[in-house]
Amino acid sequence: MSEIDHKASLAAVLSARFARRDLLKSAGAGLGLMAASAIGMGSAIAAPKKGGTLTLAWVEAIDTLDPHLTSSAGSIKIINNVFNGLLKVDYDGKKVSFAPDLAEKWDMPDEKTHIFKLRAGVKFHNGDPCDAQAVKWSLERVKSPALKSPHAWKLELLESIDILDPLTVRLRFKKPFAFLPVALTGSTGRAGTIVSKRAVEAAGAGFGRAPVGTGPFKLTGWKENDSIELARNPAYFEPGLPHLDRVVIRLIKEPSAAVAAMMSGQVDGLSVCPFQFIPQLRKNPNIQVFGQVEGNYSFVGMNNKRAPFNDPILRQAVAFAIDRKVIVEQSYFGEAIPAYTCISPPMTQFYDPNIAKTGRGQYFDLAKARALRAKSKVQGEIEPSYIVTDGFTGSGGLGTRNAQLIAPMLAQIGIKPKIELVDRAIWVQRRNAGDFDMYDEAWVADLDPDETITPEWSTGRPWNFVGYSNPKFDQAVAAASETTNLATRRKHYTEAEDLLMTDAPLAVLAHMKVFKILSKKVQGFEYVPADLLNLHTVSLA
Amino acid sequence: MKVAANSLELRASRLWQSLGAVAQTALVLLVVSGISFLFLKLSPGDPVALMLGSDFSRDSYDQLYRNLGLDRPWLQQYFHWLSRFVLGEWGSSYVSKQDIFELAVLQALPVTLTLAALSLLVALAVGIPLGVLAAIKRNSWMDILASAIAIGGNAFPSFYLGVVLIWIFSVAFGWFPSMGYVSPWSDPLGGLWHLALPALTLGAWYVGLIATVTRSSLLEVLEQPYMAAARARGEPEWRVIWVHGMRNVLMPLVTIIGLQLGGMLRGAVMTEVVFTLPGLGMMITNAVQTREYLVVQAGIMITALLFIAVNLLVDRTYTILDPRLRKK
Repeated sequence: MSEIDHKASLAAVLSARFARRDLLKSAGAGLGLMAASAIGMGSAIAAPKKGGTLTLAWVEAIDTLDPHLTSSAGSIKIINNVFNGLLKVDYDGKKVSFAPDLAEKWDMPDEKTHIFKLRAGVKFHNGDPCDAQAVKWSLERVKSPALKSPHAWKLELLESIDILDPLTVRLRFKKPFAFLPVALTGSTGRAGTIVSKRAVEAAGAGFGRAPVGTGPFKLTGWKENDSIELARNPAYFEPGLPHLDRVVIRLIKEPSAAVAAMMSGQVDGLSVCPFQFIPQLRKNPNIQVFGQVEGNYSFVGMNNKRAPFNDPILRQAVAFAIDRKVIVEQSYFGEAIPAYTCISPPMTQFYDPNIAKTGRGQYFDLAKARALRAKSKVQGEIEPSYIVTDGFTGSGGLGTRNAQLIAPMLAQIGIKPKIELVDRAIWVQRRNAGDFDMYDEAWVADLDPDETITPEWSTGRPWNFVGYSNPKFDQAVAAASETTNLATRRKHYTEAEDLLMTDAPLAVLAHMKVFKILSKKVQGFEYVPADLLNLHTVSLA
Repeated sequence: MKVAANSLELRASRLWQSLGAVAQTALVLLVVSGISFLFLKLSPGDPVALMLGSDFSRDSYDQLYRNLGLDRPWLQQYFHWLSRFVLGEWGSSYVSKQDIFELAVLQALPVTLTLAALSLLVALAVGIPLGVLAAIKRNSWMDILASAIAIGGNAFPSFYLGVVLIWIFSVAFGWFPSMGYVSPWSDPLGGLWHLALPALTLGAWYVGLIATVTRSSLLEVLEQPYMAAARARGEPEWRVIWVHGMRNVLMPLVTIIGLQLGGMLRGAVMTEVVFTLPGLGMMITNAVQTREYLVVQAGIMITALLFIAVNLLVDRTYTILDPRLRKK
């Protein structure tokens, strides 16, 4: 048990919290300040000012604010300010960990049993108590076949939920479940977000437009295609938080219009920002740019189910023909790093910062690419279809940029892709139907290898659009998810990744920065590399 | 008694005319609804796949598909929609569950109408003087300048013009907001301030048209004997141009404005997206992207109705502008 990573990190975070509290108490500072002092962000804050309205521009689409039904990064960022999970994502500037949120204490009597002691006195925005009953109901809602939650798979192994006392729940799993900490966060996991039973039953299908949670802010208005308004939850459980009275979220679809609104001071922040505007925003003295390489990877997927890419040799040739440095510089404006495998830097316990020197993974080697191409089944020049869309996603609305850089690189090994820029709806339809030879994609906002490669590349899983299948890979990722022993997990993921990179259903491209833009007058923002914009600690100068 | 009978006859014929107009309108709307429904169904893309994102399972897909009634035959879907549409039951959005009538008619339509009206005002205020100036100073440098402005405004895509105006007047000078809608009906100053750049953007496209028509029509009118007669009576030049001249320019002007309403609505789509105005254009753009069939359909129907209404209005205006037409 000494190597259980999430429990150890939990303890570390807790002790850090307590240490800070003691320090501040002795300095005579208030509780609010304790909570507001940002972990790792370090910007020296005097007592944060109370009140005020923060106006933000949202570029991404918002599908629903029902945490159990959303699949949009734009929604999750709002949801995380309205709801809480049992756990939350924490970041100390170097390392991502999972800290208690609605849970106060987390025990593991054995590898398959988790006992959560909840915070006392937490209330939903409608006044109902958030207790063991509410947690049980929420988790059961995610699992219920009637809801058809896209996050149900995250709780598939959950066998039973028992209420031990009004503030204690016990979760029993069929097998040890390493992904649990992520699944139980309110943000990227979404399955562990606790919703109000009464509000769900009252609103029915309309709950996504009238969400009721326990978070620092509550929804007060939603004007279609215009704005969403949040107001301070005075009963929020973290003492002294939040600082802001109101948050106005302007729904600006056009990124350049959002950037213009930012530059002219009409909004105080952007939920995300395309790469091409970053150099300009960095130069502006009134603007702070937050962004680090997050848990993501972009790639070119190749259709394993039909010729010509049903040939692994040809796929490998593609993987070695792409110069990632050029992609990083020209497509991502230097705001990314070349990817060798799918596992990204925030997965600190699995990512190898020296991977470039190990010879593992995929990288640019034209000679190797040419040699592989010479051995591929299909000889001579080929013209595969390559579908791209300009819809704005976490990968930054690249449009044809990646494809146009990759096409001439592949031409050097006799592959001349026909790039088709299509409407997002058509792209989704063709991707889901497997109607492509090559396609552009990025998987984003992941914090654990289990969510970054398992549902994407296991046989028959719904996100495996290229139809990749290797039983050895399936076994390796399954084995990795069924143990909480870190060394064993690491071994299985290394094996799985090596198989994946060699079979090359994808040519992995880059791990990207994801940006949050805020005006200098916005203080106390805690950056977390999981595409989140948490506002509970934010105040206005 | 002869006169009374005549007026009765006239009234009856007007009634017939009106009934005819209503029947025509209904027929046009029916055809528009059928064609747009068919095109929406034929366009690739699938609302259910988009709603479920990447996370969907076959099961949830099928259920949602059924819930939205998309599994029924097209013709059945169409008539189901039509029978409810005429009763004002426009259904609710797949994603937001919002009532579409409320969204389209009560929220989006007023925004677009306000924007269009202001843009038209801008266009008339700039376009007519420009056209008059070009006509009376024909072939001078002023004529060339006016023509250049007119053609430039017409040629500059409203999308691009909007962005340029934002960067100059919002970002560089900070004089005007670049986004958001404030109703000028409830907050006149704030509303006009927020709509200034969008109205200028959309109006620019019309300026060229109005100036060109004003110039060419006025040139024709200037040759007419009644203009010479007015001058001979010793009326001042401004009166000759603006009263006798312009009165006769109004007819072609109204015609062209009515005919080009389609262009204006098209421009409104772009303008609303650039300036983040929650109007019909924005609504339709978003709905097309997510394949919200019912919302797109509602948007198309309102647009068609607007188009017909303006054309009827133009017909009525003729008889007001030219009393001679009333007798015919």
